[in-house]
Amino acid sequence: MAVVDYLETLLPQLVLIAFALLMPAMDYLFKKDKRVLSWIALVPLVSLACAMVSWLFMGVWKPSGAPIDVISVDQFSGLFTLVFLAVGIVVVLGSPEFIRADKNHGEYYSLILLAMVGMTVVAEASDLIALFVGLEIAGISSFALSGFRKSEKRSSEAATKYFIVGGFSSALTLFAISILYGIGGTTNIQALGSALGGASAPAWVQDSQSMVLLAVVLLFAGFGFKIAIVPFHMWAPDVYEGAPTPISGMLAAASKKMGFAAVFKVFLIGLLASKMQWEGAAAILAVLTMTVGNLVAVSQTNIKRMLAYSSIAQAGYILIALPVGTQYAVEGGLFHIITHAFMKSGAFMVVAAMGAAAVGERLDDFKGLGRRAPWLAFAMTLFLLSLAGIPPLAGFASKFVLFSSAVYASEAGPQWLVWLAIAGVLNSALSLYYYARVIKYMYMEKGPADKIAIPPMLKIAIAFAAVMVVLIGIYPDPVIRVCEHAAAIFTGLAPGV
Amino acid sequence: MLESVPIISIIILLPLVGAVATLLLGRREEYAKYVAAAFSGAALVLTVLVTLEFVIDPSTTAARGYHDGHGFFNYQYYESYPWVESLGISYIVGLDGISLPLFLLTALLSFLAIVFSWDTKLRPKEYFGLMQILEVGVLGVFVAQDYFVFYVFWEVVLIPMYFMIGVWGGPNKDYAAIKFFIYTHIASLAMLVSIMALYFQAGAHSFSMEAIALAGTTNFSRLFQIVVFAAMFFGFGVKMPMVPFHTWLPDAHVEAPTAGSVLLAGLLLKMGGYGIIRVAIPTLTAGAHELQILMAVIAIASILYGALLSLAQKDLKKMVAYSSISHMGFVLLGFATFSSLGIVAGVFQMFAHGLVTAVLFMMCGVVQHKCGTRLIPSLGGLSRKMPVASTMMTIGFLASLGLPGLVSFAAEFMVFASMFDKWAMWLFLPILSVAITAGYYLWALQRTMFGPLTTKIDTSHLHDVDWYEGVPVGILIALIALFGVFPSLIFQYINPAVQIVTHLLGGG
Repeated sequence: MAVVDYLETLLPQLVLIAFALLMPAMDYLFKKDKRVLSWIALVPLVSLACAMVSWLFMGVWKPSGAPIDVISVDQFSGLFTLVFLAVGIVVVLGSPEFIRADKNHGEYYSLILLAMVGMTVVAEASDLIALFVGLEIAGISSFALSGFRKSEKRSSEAATKYFIVGGFSSALTLFAISILYGIGGTTNIQALGSALGGASAPAWVQDSQSMVLLAVVLLFAGFGFKIAIVPFHMWAPDVYEGAPTPISGMLAAASKKMGFAAVFKVFLIGLLASKMQWEGAAAILAVLTMTVGNLVAVSQTNIKRMLAYSSIAQAGYILIALPVGTQYAVEGGLFHIITHAFMKSGAFMVVAAMGAAAVGERLDDFKGLGRRAPWLAFAMTLFLLSLAGIPPLAGFASKFVLFSSAVYASEAGPQWLVWLAIAGVLNSALSLYYYARVIKYMYMEKGPADKIAIPPMLKIAIAFAAVMVVLIGIYPDPVIRVCEHAAAIFTGLAPGV
Repeated sequence: MLESVPIISIIILLPLVGAVATLLLGRREEYAKYVAAAFSGAALVLTVLVTLEFVIDPSTTAARGYHDGHGFFNYQYYESYPWVESLGISYIVGLDGISLPLFLLTALLSFLAIVFSWDTKLRPKEYFGLMQILEVGVLGVFVAQDYFVFYVFWEVVLIPMYFMIGVWGGPNKDYAAIKFFIYTHIASLAMLVSIMALYFQAGAHSFSMEAIALAGTTNFSRLFQIVVFAAMFFGFGVKMPMVPFHTWLPDAHVEAPTAGSVLLAGLLLKMGGYGIIRVAIPTLTAGAHELQILMAVIAIASILYGALLSLAQKDLKKMVAYSSISHMGFVLLGFATFSSLGIVAGVFQMFAHGLVTAVLFMMCGVVQHKCGTRLIPSLGGLSRKMPVASTMMTIGFLASLGLPGLVSFAAEFMVFASMFDKWAMWLFLPILSVAITAGYYLWALQRTMFGPLTTKIDTSHLHDVDWYEGVPVGILIALIALFGVFPSLIFQYINPAVQIVTHLLGGG
């Protein structure tokens, strides 16, 4: 394979890296107005996002088919790349006003772009080592970003916590990878799937099922930390609360999704043969995650913590796709990942806007927001109702596909799967309580009378997310189609509807 | 003429456009009511035209069978556009004899509720905007012929109602609003899971009610029908509300503003009844047959328990709220007989109850507004100061207790007749409620309107109804009398459509 082909396959990452290296230099060029930096950081994000949209939604072009053996560019990776880029756009738009008073703007944007590089590598990885490298690139950038306000105690604490947990989860993941390599003799996910499964597997693979199970447990823990599923979720609220708000948005809306890209690939391709062994555990973890996330969210008074727990709950919903394990379920999972990216990053940007206006991020600070900043409150209402799954918003459409996949699978296969849908639905009802409470505070409680001024770039970021939430809700068809194509790479699973 | 344009979509869109216009008024909040009244009024006028032009042709309807051309129920003004093709979701709307009276009721009550709220000073822009969004949702529920669209409209109703209670409600509004929201949302979710189950089990790759019902005649096993029917029955029943899932209703009513109560009792409760007769029974006939007795028992329990609770209330509005539970029980009882007579009566009772309960809640609002309290022990002899109001209240109470010549009588009488036809002597149970109902209404009337003028409140400034209160109530009372004397004006629409339901249920 010619060098040019390598470069072409890696073009998105190369562009991001180039800009990431450029950003610190720009810091020196634009000393007066640091906002320019965010516009520069938007260049690669927006252009790559446009490229992805023109590929996935319009079919204008197609990536060249020749993959490097550790990376495969397909609709699945394209979809995730687009989600990461979209979140990146929202985060970068929301940042300049938020970090106005801080130093090191260049490094800030540089790290965001590098985190994007790591996430896209995870989405494209077809090899466990490449996957691990991607996880690390994204992880290390995110640790640094969480501690961006290094003079602030909360921020440093968040970074330290995140770093320790991240290191721990990496170790577990790596250990699991080494076990799988030892049994299967390969780190390629596809090859691993055939090595571990089927009647053709050699006898000693059959005999080492207990070791495979150990690897599964370790992976649940390792990835579980990344996507914050219960009981590996403790770090998430602290980190989200302490990190700069736009970064919290990135962690919730993008980093978490990176974990899901890894989980889907490893479990539904590499470990598909032992699905019988892990599907029960995955189902229990899914239900546990959504229930604990929602129950704890009810008692939160800090909006960022509440959103953190709501992210945990949403991760539980997405995790349903794993035990159900049909292409339709993965389609639903992907769809919910997309909608969650918009509604969650949008909600965090609203909190960031409150922070930028020096209002605060406690529930009490939202009192009377409907009068103080009508459009901001309206956007927040949209995000929260979408998170709760109220039609006709995006969150409803994706939950609909996701939960219905469990109902569908239960009618065709094991009946207990329907309980996943019921658990999801009951949790949605429960979650409505704390989402509605924020809305109640915004519209029904009396607050200070003064208006809040929102920085223009944050307005753009919030408006973008809000428009997407409404648009996908009203016309989900194109997005569902793209998810359907992306889910089709899981050839081992039962096809969609 | 109306057939040539997508008239139903236009009617639904009118209040939506009105809502957006209202919310965008900016600082000119005082114009909100005019905008709302104009758009809602236009929707009402079009709905009346649709009603007048609706083709009633029982002979051909029966002859045409039940799946021909325009849908399962020979829908008129039928519209169908693909929406989410990957999941088989289409925007399908249409009207038939069962939905038309409720559609008309929705347009009417929404408009009258807006007029009744003419005096709203607190955040009028949002108030009238939400009222119109509510109207959009309810109108949509009554015409949607695709499960997904049905569910979307169903949920759209929730949010404005939550705000109406939560912002413009009484002292305990927070609790009432959230209780309303959670209760009815859980019920909706039971419905949602049922819809998913129906969709996949039918295997028609379509959410169209007709396609699923047709596929279901062969694909739905008996057990599946029972389970899904039970889930749907729960979903719709909470909304109706039926005992024992009724506790959200009194709380919501007591705290809701008057117009909110009017829409809640007049329209939102009907959504539950409509869902049972439009969706649950025709699609899952075997399941319905299995649970017929359960439906009847719950209906009778609601009728009696609601009536007994009404008897014990001190708050006028709470009394009316509990009476709604009792009266919606008649709807369910009519449906549970599975006979043409009973189902027609049930649908007619929904229409009748919508008119009557609107009058009652409006009059409770008037009393609250003028006297500052609704507590029966604090009131008394109001007819001396408010003759028009007390006359209207009296007519409303008499209509609600089923006085012959007024609209509820026809409905309740037919429910009793169909019940007797089916279960003979068991009729003695629901018929007890007639005495209880007469008891609590007349007793309340005596304690509030007649007798010596109360001294517990300051009555020196008491004055009679304002125009914006009197006119809507007057219109409603006129209609109550009109349809009471000529119930066939509405029956003629309902009857042919119900024949199709009973045909599906087997026999008639």
